[in-house]
Amino acid sequence: MNIISVGVNHKTAPIEIRERVSLPEAQAKEFLRNLIDDGIAQEAMALSTCNRTELYVVPGMPEVDCRYLKEYLIAYKDAHHDVRPEHFFNRFYCNTARHLFEVASAIDSLILGEGQILGQVKEGYRIAVEVQSAGILLTRLCHTAFSVAKKVKTKTKIMEGAVSVSYAAVELAQKIFSNLSMKKILLIGAGETGELAAKHMFQKNARNIVITNRTLSKAETLAGELGTNQVLPYETYKEHLHEFDIIITAVSIKDYVLTEPELQQSMQKRRLKPVIILDLGLPRNVDPEIGKLKNMFLKDIDDLKHIIDKNLEMRRAELPKVQKIIDEELVGFGRWINTLKVRPTIVDLQSKFLEIKEKELERFRYKVSEEELKRMERLTDRILKKILHHPIKMLKAPVDTADTIPSRVNLVRNIFDLEEQNQRTK
Amino acid sequence: MDNALLNNTLLTILNGTVSLLYILSLVLYGADFFRSSAIAKTYKQPALIVTIVTHIAYIGFLTAPEGYRLDYSSPMLMTMVALTLAVTYMFIEFSTKTDKTGFFILSFATGAEILASVLFLSSSGDGPAFSGLGIGIHLLSAIFSFSAIAIAGLYSFLYLLLFRQIKNNKFGFLFENLPNLEVLELLIKHAVAFGFLFLTITLLAGAIGTIQTSEVINLFETRLIALIVIWLFYGASLFIKKLFGWDTFHMAYILIILFVVITSLIILMSIFSPTFHSTSF
Repeated sequence: MNIISVGVNHKTAPIEIRERVSLPEAQAKEFLRNLIDDGIAQEAMALSTCNRTELYVVPGMPEVDCRYLKEYLIAYKDAHHDVRPEHFFNRFYCNTARHLFEVASAIDSLILGEGQILGQVKEGYRIAVEVQSAGILLTRLCHTAFSVAKKVKTKTKIMEGAVSVSYAAVELAQKIFSNLSMKKILLIGAGETGELAAKHMFQKNARNIVITNRTLSKAETLAGELGTNQVLPYETYKEHLHEFDIIITAVSIKDYVLTEPELQQSMQKRRLKPVIILDLGLPRNVDPEIGKLKNMFLKDIDDLKHIIDKNLEMRRAELPKVQKIIDEELVGFGRWINTLKVRPTIVDLQSKFLEIKEKELERFRYKVSEEELKRMERLTDRILKKILHHPIKMLKAPVDTADTIPSRVNLVRNIFDLEEQNQRTK
Repeated sequence: MDNALLNNTLLTILNGTVSLLYILSLVLYGADFFRSSAIAKTYKQPALIVTIVTHIAYIGFLTAPEGYRLDYSSPMLMTMVALTLAVTYMFIEFSTKTDKTGFFILSFATGAEILASVLFLSSSGDGPAFSGLGIGIHLLSAIFSFSAIAIAGLYSFLYLLLFRQIKNNKFGFLFENLPNLEVLELLIKHAVAFGFLFLTITLLAGAIGTIQTSEVINLFETRLIALIVIWLFYGASLFIKKLFGWDTFHMAYILIILFVVITSLIILMSIFSPTFHSTSF
């Protein structure tokens, strides 16, 4: 029983190619049903996100290989003109499992350790379960992948630290102030960047967020979305600067919105209590001289990128630990796969001996009493159990290479004269 | 007077054991802070609790012959400083849930305990045991005052370190592991408040004790002057904080200097003077 994985992702193809083969939920369901109904796959799962579209397939026919699956997907998406098989990656058997474990653990992601991918893998599995294309193999594979991802999240720091500018701003604020819910925050500019930063602050329990914007209605809309409902007119916000512990600026404007004399005056009014100014504007919104004021922490995008770089470096340093977890789980998964291969032989072996037992006992059925027959049956059961214990144990034992399994299976089949596996299937 | 330690095997063993336990706790706190060791994280707090309990038992055994009264010898004062630092840190860890500064506080406590341990072995005998409630309060509050000064100094050092790292965009190891600036500032403020309280008690109890025993204290003794200077500064800073706010950045520099000065004085005079004050009670 083989398992194949093919797909395009951020490592193998540019975004315009990834877009062409993406499978939104409705299409993914239809595509999976086609694979099963056409007999191409015994089991199938599709994982489609903005950075990847990947198929995990247990082939249903001998001719189904990677190339076949790639062509099938390209044909389904009618993307012959744009997408070529070279844009895809191929994985087989254990490497398929390794790949899915790496994907679920977010070490194959564009941003190392990003937190969304596990949910997306779970979503892919949910769809496969819904269309009944997930069988025993994919179910086990996915559940092992979820378990790997959970272990990686709890035992390593791969998902720790901010890796976006707006989140890095929050991380920095938390390194200066212990409780953001007690701090007063001013957001200058209600654009996309400001909105994101305000939302991250809100997630970290900041509730006292005041918004000011040249167009007041935009500030009111964002304040409404956040549930703070606090806005200041753009013309008068400078009169209140001293009230704020954190000031976030994200406006598109040529001149500085905050100057050194304004902040110096506000610091005197604050009796030198520390202030963080997060300048997320490009070009910069705040006079850099402000950073020289006492107890003033002024950080622009470049400064915050230092935090992101440091966090990414820390995440990269965790990679060996993640790989170790994946390797351990892979060994367990490989053992389970091997038991699948020997399971028919074990069943045959047990059936054969059961048959012999039944035949032999049948001869005595009318020669002994009912009670004696039951005792004989119990005795033969015990003998059979002991005879079969070692061959079954040997079949299930871990192997160094996959080639060992057929030779073991053949050995047992020859010794006990079991019917050929393919003949039995027929 | 004979050396009680050398005459008592149990005390000799406990003397070494307490130092070793401090070193073990320090290593565990260090391993957690610098290496994020899971084992160290699990065992550091139990190790510190065992250290404190053993240390209290050791002081109990040591002072039992004198009716559990502390004496004025330098090693006794040093070991009490180590204990009060460890106990105060434990209290901070439990109350603030901040367990990332233990290495810095315990390194000082461990140093004090090792020094006390060596001084105990080399000292010719005990200093005079205190008598009277006033002198007892004077001694204990002086020890707690010094612990507060040490904690204020050490946390001020960490505050400045983190402050500079953030200012200079050095978002490295210390940025990652130290508590935030506001927490450090709070710890400094509490240390200063407690320091002022205990220093006031020390001075008052000392003055009362001197009057009661009719002893003459040298008012120009360096440590006494340093103590009064720190008491005045701590008191003034609390007053300034209430009225005008507090510039922690500059306060931190002064608190470090005061800590270094008083520690140097105590260490130097512990080595060269057998008793704390230049006159004995």
